[in-house]
Amino acid sequence: MTRLVEVPAQFDDRSFDQFAAAYAQAADGERMLFDAHAAEWASPYGLVGLLAAGEAAVRRGGGERPLLTAPANPDVVSYWARAGFFREAGDLFEVHGKVPKTKPAAESEVLLPVTPVRAAEDVHAVVSTIQQRASAILSSELGLDPKATMGFAMALSESCQNIVEHAGTGGWVAVQAYNWRRKLARRVVVIAVADAGVGFRHSLEPTQAKRFGERWGDAAALEAAVIQGVSRFRDPGRGQGLAGIRRYLARWEGKIAIRSGTARIAIVPRWDDDVPLKDGLPAFPGSQVLLIIPEQGSGGSAKS
Amino acid sequence: MVHAVLQQSVAGFYTDLVTRPTGRAVRENIERDLPAGTIAVMDFTGVGCLDYSCADEIVAKLVRDKVRVLLLRGLTDAHRDAIEPVLAGAGLAALCARPDGTLEGLGAREPAPALLEELVARHLAARNPGGSITLTAA
Repeated sequence: MTRLVEVPAQFDDRSFDQFAAAYAQAADGERMLFDAHAAEWASPYGLVGLLAAGEAAVRRGGGERPLLTAPANPDVVSYWARAGFFREAGDLFEVHGKVPKTKPAAESEVLLPVTPVRAAEDVHAVVSTIQQRASAILSSELGLDPKATMGFAMALSESCQNIVEHAGTGGWVAVQAYNWRRKLARRVVVIAVADAGVGFRHSLEPTQAKRFGERWGDAAALEAAVIQGVSRFRDPGRGQGLAGIRRYLARWEGKIAIRSGTARIAIVPRWDDDVPLKDGLPAFPGSQVLLIIPEQGSGGSAKS
Repeated sequence: MVHAVLQQSVAGFYTDLVTRPTGRAVRENIERDLPAGTIAVMDFTGVGCLDYSCADEIVAKLVRDKVRVLLLRGLTDAHRDAIEPVLAGAGLAALCARPDGTLEGLGAREPAPALLEELVARHLAARNPGGSITLTAA
C-alpha cells in the first residue's frame, strides 16, 4: 500500500506542520507518495524539509525510494529546478512528472541553491559560496552594513554544523532572498537547514534528560539548546554556535525558528507574531532550522 | 601565521576558519611547535570568515590550555565578533594588537590587565604617557 503525503500548495514553515501531520500518519514499511503536483510555491524551508522527508521515508520504507509527483505548473517546477531541489531529489525519490533539466541557479534570488551538508568540507564550500554570492545583495538590497555579511556567513556556518555535529546523518541548506509581502513588505534573506537525523531530544538526552526529569521531551531539548546554550558535549566551549546565531540575529532584528520532533521554538523579533514555543506538533524526524534576516530600516516595498 | 597553518591543515584551499574539525586541525598544528606557558602571537591576516566554533576551538582552547599570553593581530571586526564572546563566556582573555601597535584586552575583563602587565614586565610592551600600552616587539 502507498501512503499519500500531500505537499501544501504554499509550502513554507507555516504549512510545514500540515505536511508533517500527513507524513506522521504513514506506517513503517509503507511506501510514501509525496504529491506536489498542486504546489504553487515553496520556500527554501519547504524544499529542504521535503528532502529530509524523502530521506526519512527511504529509511521507513525499508530502503525503497518514495514517490514524488513534481509540481504540474511549469513555472513552479522550473523554479524548484533552479533552486537545486531536483538535483538532490533524484537520489531520494522516484520522481514523476516533467522536470526541466535546468542547472541550479545563477539568478540573484537564489543565493545558495539546495546544497547537501554531510561533512565539515561541505560547510567550507557553503561559506565560501555564500561570501561570493551574498555580500552585494546583503549590503545593497537589504541595507546591512557590509561588515554584517561576515556575520551572516558565520551564522550560516554554525547552522550547517548543527547537522555535521549532531544529526548523525546528512542534511541540506538553501539560502534565498525575496520580497516578503505577508509580514513585512520588505526584502528578506532566508536560510533554511534541514536534516532527518536524530533531532535535539535524542542528541541531548544522555546529558540533559535527568536534569529536566518529567519535563524532558522535544520542547525541553530545544529550550536547553537554544535558550540555555546547552550542548551534548561536555567540553566547556560547546554551545557557542546557536548563541552566536542569536546574537547576530538580535543585532539585525532577525528571526530563528527550530523545529525538532514534536516541538518548535522561535526567537521572535518585534515584526513577527510567531509563538515562542510549540509542543505536541506532528512528529517529524531530525531538525529544521529557519533564519530570517529582514531588510534594514523602514524602506522597501513589495515588488512581487 | 594562522592563515599559513590553515593552508597546511585543511585538505582543500580555504581562507575561512570555520567548523570544529578545521579549528582542531589548525590548533593541533600550532600546538606542535608551541611549548606550554609561552607568549604566543597569532596573525589573522588573510583569514576570511572565522566562526564561533573555530574561535573556540583555536583561540579559547589555546588560551585555556596552552599559552600564558596570546597576542592576536590582523583581526577584522568580524573576527573580533567571533572571538570576544567565546573568550568572555569562558572567563578568558587574550590581547589584541591594533594596527598602530596599541594593545587591548579581548574577552573577559578581569584577566586582561594582568596579561598587559606581563608583556610590560617582559619588555615586550611599553606604557605610553596617555596610559595606553604599545607593543615594542613582535
